[in-house]
Amino acid sequence: MNSGLKGLLRGELTSWVGAAASIAVVLFVLMVLAGAPFGEALSGFVDGAFGGRRFSYLLTTLSRTALIVGMAISVMLSFRAGLFNIGGEGQLVAGGLVAALVAIMLPGPPLVVLFLSIFAAMAAGALWALLSGVLQLYLGVPLLVGSLLLNYPIRYIGSYLVAHPFRDVQSGMVQSHLVPQATWLPYFPGTRLDIGILFIAVASVFAIIYSHTTVHGYHARLNGLSPDFARAVGLPVNKLALQTLAMSGAIAGLVGAIAVFGIHHRYIDGMLVQPLYAWTGIIAVLLVGMIPWLVPLSGFFFAAIQTGAAGMERTADVPKEIALVMQAVIILFVASRVSGALLASSGRKASGGGDA
Amino acid sequence: MHVALSGITVRFGALTAVDDVSLAITPGEIHAIVGENGAGKSTLMNALFGLVEPAAGAISIDGTVRRWTSPRGAIAAGLGMVHQHFMLQEEMTVLENIVLCSEPVGRFGFVDFAAAHRRLKESADSHGIVIGLDRVVGDLSVGERQVVEILKVLYCEAEVLILDEPTSVLTPQEKDRLFAILKSFRAAGKAIVLITHKLDEVMEIADRVSVMRGGRLIASGRRAETSKEEIARGIIGGELPAARQRRPRAPGEVVLSVDKLVAAGRGMAVGPITLSMRAGEIVGIAGVSGNGQAELVQALTGLRPSISGAITLCGVRIEALDVERRRQAGMSYIPEDRQRVGLALGATVAENANAGRDDRAAFSRGPFLNRAAMTRFARSLIERYRIRVGGASARASTMSGGNKQKLVVGRELARATPLVIAENPTWGVDIGAIDFIHGELMRMRDEGHAVLLVSTELDEILALSDRILVMYAGRLAGEVARDEASRERIGEMMTSRAVDALPEVA
Repeated sequence: MNSGLKGLLRGELTSWVGAAASIAVVLFVLMVLAGAPFGEALSGFVDGAFGGRRFSYLLTTLSRTALIVGMAISVMLSFRAGLFNIGGEGQLVAGGLVAALVAIMLPGPPLVVLFLSIFAAMAAGALWALLSGVLQLYLGVPLLVGSLLLNYPIRYIGSYLVAHPFRDVQSGMVQSHLVPQATWLPYFPGTRLDIGILFIAVASVFAIIYSHTTVHGYHARLNGLSPDFARAVGLPVNKLALQTLAMSGAIAGLVGAIAVFGIHHRYIDGMLVQPLYAWTGIIAVLLVGMIPWLVPLSGFFFAAIQTGAAGMERTADVPKEIALVMQAVIILFVASRVSGALLASSGRKASGGGDA
Repeated sequence: MHVALSGITVRFGALTAVDDVSLAITPGEIHAIVGENGAGKSTLMNALFGLVEPAAGAISIDGTVRRWTSPRGAIAAGLGMVHQHFMLQEEMTVLENIVLCSEPVGRFGFVDFAAAHRRLKESADSHGIVIGLDRVVGDLSVGERQVVEILKVLYCEAEVLILDEPTSVLTPQEKDRLFAILKSFRAAGKAIVLITHKLDEVMEIADRVSVMRGGRLIASGRRAETSKEEIARGIIGGELPAARQRRPRAPGEVVLSVDKLVAAGRGMAVGPITLSMRAGEIVGIAGVSGNGQAELVQALTGLRPSISGAITLCGVRIEALDVERRRQAGMSYIPEDRQRVGLALGATVAENANAGRDDRAAFSRGPFLNRAAMTRFARSLIERYRIRVGGASARASTMSGGNKQKLVVGRELARATPLVIAENPTWGVDIGAIDFIHGELMRMRDEGHAVLLVSTELDEILALSDRILVMYAGRLAGEVARDEASRERIGEMMTSRAVDALPEVA
């Protein structure tokens, strides 16, 4: 066990070093080509991700981390159970949309409204995820396809609702009215960081405990490791799948609600889609091989890259597109890792005929 | 063509799969290489054929040292290999498959199929091989596909023919046909290497026998100068397990009754099948792989929906229940594929051992796992079934095939259900594990459980079963009582209708 853990750590460490090295090399080459001053860009990057006056940029990074980690936790629960739910974006949008609308329309004491809205958002995310599960189990639409396709209708439903019936016409933008100010998540004292990150911290702790210590998490993981095995030993695989999807979707919905109450205070068309929170979350999970406790670190890493890139653009005039290239390098790195793992497992299967 | 291997050593990481083996292959001889799974016999031949690169040693042909790093070189040198898993294009015809990669190019660069057809027909006829060259491979039986593989090797004018476990997929009759072809090759002066673990076949056909164990060559000599017992001792490195004593036992109550069960199969429905099983008997289902056994087992366990018919287990109708409820009704299942279905290889031994346990309260506290209890249970299985593994928290993938299978068998038998379904329970495991698993199945029978043994190994069926059912083309082709069972009789049932269905081949 001990040596296994060490090996794992060493493996993770090498892969992180490898990631950092490949990113550095590509960045260096790009900057040389763009003629940007390397040292200045680097300090701009570090400052943009972790610095700023009274660490304001670090707080921005943390705020972004919260959303990315939330989405990462959401997909991690599905992926570990062998469910390729890539509909996190739709579930996130469903949550954000419902949270804003409920808060706008529901009268009552602010705290009650806030909690009911968050609850409604989680329910909406769960339902949207369940829909893709139902499509798979009862209509035979593969989850990978169904969950992806379900991203689009909810996004356009959202666009319609805030463009027409619930539009804040005065603002001139495609967005809803503000949610009541009393429901806004408070900032940490003396900062511009809202307490939404605490919700995500709780969700992360829940996910880690769930994955490692509960019967449900154990069964879900067996299904993820080998669906045929799970079926043969009589695990209730359909129920497991639906419950896990609901859990995933609820967390995505929670992230949507946090974006509304903590950051934007309304639903703005595209606010949850354009920053690619859901997709970044998927990449963050794959990068660490779905190991629960590493997911928050991985999410922070990606958030830092994005805010750092913005800082680089401000100080060194390096185009933000460089950051996109960086992300692409990381995605490539992840893809090679994942395919490497797949190759290794199929190799195991091939040699498994004779049982080494 | 004389082939000599000298000092061949193959390593896979820390494991030495073949350890300093020297061997001579002589023309006009059938040379059997025997040993347990993992003894290194396939690896040795893969090294000869250029599929793995030896870490040390040399291959010489007719006295000249040769080297190649891919099968291409080996084929050019006159070697041919028929693998355990066939490598054929299902959509293409026999002829197209055979000429693949060495097509006879006619004028203008077109493939001259007519010439190839003539040439093949000639060499096939000279060895008494009958096969329709224009049939599509997808329509052929397993035995016929093997003939196609052999023709492929023949077409490349191989002088040395290596066959890896060629009879494992054949009926006794198909095996006889194969051996007739091999004898004809021998008469034509070709050298034949037969990798096998079946000693009866060795005694029947081989001229020379080499025994491998743990990567080393234990013995090599003329078959006439040795005996089956001596070879067997060489294979396992000790004395043979004592023959099993069979306690006479009157069957008890009906445990399982299947009435006109029909299940969806690949291309055709399997069934209707009617059978019943009583407590304290082992019912063997014999048959060539792919005749509906897998579908029947899946329909019984609930992994495949049944189309019609009734299944009653211990008085409960179960055909509409899901897997979990069927297991609770009194069924355990040892699947054929331990790598995918029997175990979750990425999970630990403890996690595998506790999956599918009926008494969930024994390893959980509320919604949480009781890891200590899970480990205790896994340790008890490890001890009772003598599983060799690093510990309860080792990954299942770290175990050898035999130990993996023991874990599956242990997990399922520990549930002590009235019905045990065992599907090729000893496939690919070593003799020690086979003996142990057979012993456990017999113990279950003696304790009054009903055991449904589905196996493509006729020896296994004959050794354990109280009654034998034979499956052919999705149906039960017949039933034989233990006392009346013989290889020939069962072999006929395994193919009786094959003759009707495919007259042009027989």
